[in-house]
Amino acid sequence: MLTVRYFAGARAAAGVAEDQVPPGCTLHQLTATLVARRGERLGRVLGTASFLVDGLAWRDRDRPLPDPAVVDVLPPFAGG
Amino acid sequence: MIAVTEAPLDLAAHERAVVDPAAGAVVSFAGVVRDHDHGRTVRWLEYEAHPSAEAVLKEVAAVVAADPAVRAIAVSHRVGVLQIGDVALAAAVATAHRAEAFAACARLVDEVKARLPVWKHQVFADGTDEWVNCP
Repeated sequence: MLTVRYFAGARAAAGVAEDQVPPGCTLHQLTATLVARRGERLGRVLGTASFLVDGLAWRDRDRPLPDPAVVDVLPPFAGG
Repeated sequence: MIAVTEAPLDLAAHERAVVDPAAGAVVSFAGVVRDHDHGRTVRWLEYEAHPSAEAVLKEVAAVVAADPAVRAIAVSHRVGVLQIGDVALAAAVATAHRAEAFAACARLVDEVKARLPVWKHQVFADGTDEWVNCP
């Protein structure tokens, strides 16, 4: 199972802090599943977000995600 | 002194933390909560950090500290609810000469803003709110 953790504006857009998604998908497929479940507002955030998989940056949208895995959705940073 | 913390930040403590007999220059920076953004009045804001934020802050500080001109670095980011005038980011850099200290402190702040997984939630006077930089 994949655990998706939403942070900050991603959490606000999703309306929840976490989602559970069946494994066996790429990041591209995962984001499509999340948009279908939570709506286009989350889709806009996912389009600008970066992703961590089990704590490490994950940039390849077409490689299968590990199972199990924790996928963190990080909207654009706004510190300082 | 490198931390992501809910406690109020003390800029003078950061300056003291970089004192070094070989350093002729200490440049410090305070990022302060202001009462307006894009023409709108800000009432208060809240910073949220990813659990990795302090580790990332240490990496960023190490990158800037790798410059042989840099004698010492202190940098902290505050999280949680902040009021107007509160310090959100405190940074201090010590070098032998002033030009290097200004440059290194500016680089440190730029790198923190670019790389630190921290987010800012602004609440405006009209009751609306936004996550800064988030579509």
